[in-house]
Amino acid sequence: MTAVAETGTPPEQPDDGRVGISIDGRELRVPKGTLVLDAATEAGIHIPIYCAHPKMDPVAVCRMCLVNIEKFPKPQPACATVAGDGMVVRTDLPEVTKLREGMLEFLLLNHPLDCPVCDRGGECDLQDFTFRYGPGISRFPITEKVHFKKALPLSEHIELDQERCILCWRCVRYYDEITGEKEIVLQQRGVDTLVATFDDRQLESKFQGNLPEVCPVGALTHRKYRFVSRPWDLQRTASVCPECSYGCNINVDSRDFEVRRFASRDNPLVDDMWLCDRGRYSFDRWNSSERVRRPVVRSDDESRDVSVAEAITQAARRLREIADEYGAASIGVLGSSTSTNEELFLLERIARQVIGTPHVDHQLEPFEELSAAEHELGIAEIEDCDALVVLGAEPEEQAPVLTLRLYKAERKKGAQVIRMSGDVAVAEAVAAASGSTRIGLIADETNRAHAAEVAAALGAVGSVRRLTITRGINGRGAKDLGLLPNVGPAYASVSERGKNGRQILEGLAAGEMRGLLMLGPNPALEAAGDLLERAVRKAACVVAFDTRPGVVSRYATVLFPGHAVFEKTGSVTNVEGRVQRIRAGLPPASATPVETRVLTRLAGELGAVGWGSGDPLAVNRLLRDEFPAYGRAGNGGRAVFTAEAVA
Amino acid sequence: MAEYKLLTKDFGAVGLQTLKGYERVGGYQGLRDAFAKFTPEALVAEVKTSNIRGRGGAGFPTGMKWSFLPKDVFPRYLCCNADESEPGCFKDRYLIDESPHQLIEGLLIASYALQVNISFIYIRGEYHDQRLLLERAVEEARAAGYIGRNILGSGFDCDVIVHGGAGAYICGEETALIESLEGLRGQPRLKPPFPAVKGLYGQPTVVNNVETLCNMPHIVQRGGAWFKALGTEKSAGTRVFCCSGHIKRPGNYEMQLGTPIRELLEEECGGIWQGRSLKAFQPGGGSMQVLLPQHLDLPLDMNAVQEAGSSLGAGAMIFMDETTCLVDVSMRLVDFYRHESCGKCVPCREGTYFESELMHRLEAGLATRAELASLADICSNMDGRCFCPLGDTATWFVMSAYKAFGDEFEAHCGAGRCPVRAQATALVA
Amino acid sequence: MTLQVETRTAIERARDRYPVARSAILPALWAVQHEQGLITPDAMSEIAGILQVTPSEVEAVSTFYSMYFQHPHGRHEVIVCINVSCALRGAEGIVDHLERTLGCASGETTADGAFTWSSTVECLGGCGGAPTMQVDHHFQENLTPDRVDQILGALRSAGSEGEAPASLSAAASGQDSDESPAQGSAGETPLTTPKEPAPTATSAPVVKKRPRRPGKAAQ
Ligand SMILES: Cc1cc2nc3c(=O)[nH]c(=O)nc-3n(C[C@H](O)[C@H](O)[C@H](O)COP(=O)(O)O)c2cc1C
Ligand code: SF4
Ligand code: FES
Repeated sequence: MTAVAETGTPPEQPDDGRVGISIDGRELRVPKGTLVLDAATEAGIHIPIYCAHPKMDPVAVCRMCLVNIEKFPKPQPACATVAGDGMVVRTDLPEVTKLREGMLEFLLLNHPLDCPVCDRGGECDLQDFTFRYGPGISRFPITEKVHFKKALPLSEHIELDQERCILCWRCVRYYDEITGEKEIVLQQRGVDTLVATFDDRQLESKFQGNLPEVCPVGALTHRKYRFVSRPWDLQRTASVCPECSYGCNINVDSRDFEVRRFASRDNPLVDDMWLCDRGRYSFDRWNSSERVRRPVVRSDDESRDVSVAEAITQAARRLREIADEYGAASIGVLGSSTSTNEELFLLERIARQVIGTPHVDHQLEPFEELSAAEHELGIAEIEDCDALVVLGAEPEEQAPVLTLRLYKAERKKGAQVIRMSGDVAVAEAVAAASGSTRIGLIADETNRAHAAEVAAALGAVGSVRRLTITRGINGRGAKDLGLLPNVGPAYASVSERGKNGRQILEGLAAGEMRGLLMLGPNPALEAAGDLLERAVRKAACVVAFDTRPGVVSRYATVLFPGHAVFEKTGSVTNVEGRVQRIRAGLPPASATPVETRVLTRLAGELGAVGWGSGDPLAVNRLLRDEFPAYGRAGNGGRAVFTAEAVA
Repeated sequence: MAEYKLLTKDFGAVGLQTLKGYERVGGYQGLRDAFAKFTPEALVAEVKTSNIRGRGGAGFPTGMKWSFLPKDVFPRYLCCNADESEPGCFKDRYLIDESPHQLIEGLLIASYALQVNISFIYIRGEYHDQRLLLERAVEEARAAGYIGRNILGSGFDCDVIVHGGAGAYICGEETALIESLEGLRGQPRLKPPFPAVKGLYGQPTVVNNVETLCNMPHIVQRGGAWFKALGTEKSAGTRVFCCSGHIKRPGNYEMQLGTPIRELLEEECGGIWQGRSLKAFQPGGGSMQVLLPQHLDLPLDMNAVQEAGSSLGAGAMIFMDETTCLVDVSMRLVDFYRHESCGKCVPCREGTYFESELMHRLEAGLATRAELASLADICSNMDGRCFCPLGDTATWFVMSAYKAFGDEFEAHCGAGRCPVRAQATALVA
Repeated sequence: MTLQVETRTAIERARDRYPVARSAILPALWAVQHEQGLITPDAMSEIAGILQVTPSEVEAVSTFYSMYFQHPHGRHEVIVCINVSCALRGAEGIVDHLERTLGCASGETTADGAFTWSSTVECLGGCGGAPTMQVDHHFQENLTPDRVDQILGALRSAGSEGEAPASLSAAASGQDSDESPAQGSAGETPLTTPKEPAPTATSAPVVKKRPRRPGKAAQ
């Protein structure tokens, strides 16, 4: 040590968990364990890759990322080499340029040059790197490439073009490491290697749609996207998948005012870049042309298209009349799990503060014994559990991407995933989880009561945190914001318990209640079928927002055209309370202002003051001011409510 | 020096393949000695002292490899590499055919040294009869108490499983062997972690060649120091050389290391056949670079051969007489690599394909000079870029032959046929 | 098609020997091929069931190794090594001879279903007795066309009497022990003269490709 000091070597860096590395002369310090590839990215140096994938273990098979590292006799794969202290990496040497050219020449030996008809054209790593690093010519004397049948359907969703495959193993590793289903494997060997399914059978996975995204070339493509568009013709909007409450982040890719595809948008805390097929391929539903387009006002004998202003005035007048005549409690207010937080926030205030009715809900059945504890466990925190008890098939059916997180916890962290029937005996669950210290309990909302019992019993085994799968894109928001008869916003208690959704409809149908203010579409209410129809027909006044023609739009006394999820801006809250922005990716189907504006003006006409413009972002600010949990969550964080069980 | 019989001393003895026959010539005394005279640690040290280097190709010092196992991590595994598929190699088959128990004894000694309770012999699928022979020998040894619980009252337990491959050269590479043994496609694994740390089933694992293990009974009985004195300073002991090609007496010859290659060729192999002369030879199996007649005076010493630009590799000597077309030989080797590439990495998978297409054109006299030039470039794009040595070595012979016999390669360009064969045919006619 | 009880039992026994069940995939595939002569998807599914892996994993493994077949082979399997050591000592002549006498090309099966023969570039490890071939997994060395005729003839006559077991017959052992001398017997085969390249080589460079897997790719 002293000898070193005498020779004047600078004192060693204190161990801060980082190592110093130099890449093309750029010095940087990165955390220990960082791959050279990631260090280079941080230094702003591009290293081409095919097999490396941020969510998969390195395999270093494509050899595209080879770089020169001092003291190593051979070029090393940046994707699999951990940065060491004092490492000197060079990607800018002629030898690196040459080896990249060489690798591309190899890759193109059997790759068809069909970029003009390939769906991947424009977003293909092979095309891009060939332009950027390629040799320009092939010296291969055999012009005949190996041919396969083109575009083989692997399922209703996915097509495989084996000629284009560069054998990067990503699809195979996807099925191995991410879903664990091993549907696509390597077969044969050497230059005959190919990716294929067992006995050429169809894919059955619920997560196939991720394959074209992991494939760096056009070998795996979406059948629904075949010859549809080029990437540069697409309009891309960051949003959230509308299919369930899990809140996977997506990009909505549209062209000519139609959604052409949903693409994943990596949020490591939620989706970890994966989507389920139900969500991903639901995009074309948003292109439906069957829409409510104009505000309508109806009386017993007539139905007129009116201006928004008139519709608002009429709605306010009629609601006021009902309240005056039969009392505010004769009006029911129903939100929806498809509404944004901003809409629900306004609606709840209108109900309880402006109209003054306790009858608020967003679904049919009540949530008894509601507790913030049922939403304690975050999605990413699933990986911190050593045992995960899943009650019933419903949680994974409702929020399929959950399965992938469970598998990740199992594979990477060695967690034990215990799937039990929804009504499993408490003792059995306790026995299965014995020996664990950090337990995650996952249930769906139909199973809340039983889950609470199981959780209580598991408390004897270890610490228990619960995740409850909510309904709809924003069922969680409706819960948090008090669109419930027994609980107010932020799980506050209410002075008077109101009627739940079913009771409201029954009350209307029976003529005991007179008025209804509702946001649609509401799949939960639609499930009531005949009861809903009887209720809206009988009610004296139905002020409704809806997007599509149906029972509600047919009988509403004042109807406002609703905006579909991708036509509006706002925030929605996922199962774990994560508040995420949605943005307008399509032009609205009607010229009516968005729901928040209409609701704000309606509140004004009903006598509320100081509610502002109703611009979604302004409402969002109000919401955050009112509830600190939302303020802290910001955009993308979790709104955490600590209030304990409320009646 | 010349031939020196250590491993092969008793070969040919009646019934040597059976336990009885093996015991008659003193078999399993090494195992007894190991238990009696050595603790496991001392045994590792003794093997270190012997200076023995692996006989599987890379020539890594065995004692050192053994000492890499992390302390106190169990279970550990030992795999005997009997995948022998290097072109020109047939010594492991010979060692098994003649004396299966010698291998099993060596395996058990190594298992004891490494404290391994389950050892495997991974034998290539083509060695079907050898596998049956080994399985029978294992059963015999088990019945006699050499395998199983509390072996010979030593308190040491060890089971031996003979695992048959199914036709894949790459499974000789140690990590591919491990994958194959785990029931996977035999593709090499990313290193690190090295098998010594994380190998079979994620546990510390040693892979050793058949011949390496066959030396163990002798090292134990005669001592590491004695063994070290045999051979040369850097290459201790003997090696079994597989001699094939244009020689009078092809076969396996066990030689003391350090003996000149010429002696092996002229005295043991009977020299080049049919009164012809030597044109070239390959000293270490299909992967290694070509050597020329002037290299015959090199000693059979791993370092000396390396300095001459090749390697003793797995101990296969392929001799070629003056009628041999080096382009033809190169083409056959390249075809082999193309066939045996596991397909994992791009340069090996596509490069061997590219190479073989070019070589076929060249051998048929159809290639242009530009194509020949691109061959060299393709090879340089493969060498040192591949995932494992298979792809790298797929270029070594071709490149060395091109360097040494450039005229011959060039004469093929545009000749419309193989000029060397044509000449040879004319000569005979 | 379901596996015979003995085959299942053999696979289960293998599974129980290894520390991890999936290690028994190779032995299981051998057992299946021994019973059925090839590896079918049904059999792979059964193996997968016994070893608790997915059928796709079994197929991935079985297609990797060159000794498992996905298509039926003849009753006898003849494999001739054409790697360097054998080539130097006349393997090409043996290949030509087999092609002529069996009347089919490498990789094909004779019309009577008796033989499937192929040449392989994977060195068989019989270089000391080159040229070498394996017949039903037994080495046959120091080949000459006459020796080849003898060997095939013996198998033909044996096959016509009783049904010869398919490849990997457990029965045939020891039959060739006198044929493989300790150090590979010396001797110069008559096939020493380098021959005119076969007609195929002059017309176009022919590389015998392993057929790309038929199925989805080929139709
Ligand atoms: C492509 C390839 C093939 C190999 N084949 C064999 C083989 O057939 N037998 C063998 O013992 N070693 C083979 N090796 C070397 C092994 O990886 C390993 O080094 C050896 O088995 C270690 O044993 P040793 O230390 O006793 O030599 C091969 C290596 C490579 C890269
Ligand atoms: S299909 Fe795509 S992802 Fe799969 S190996 Fe081929 S190139 Fe890679
Ligand atoms: S990205 Fe590193 S080898 Fe493929």
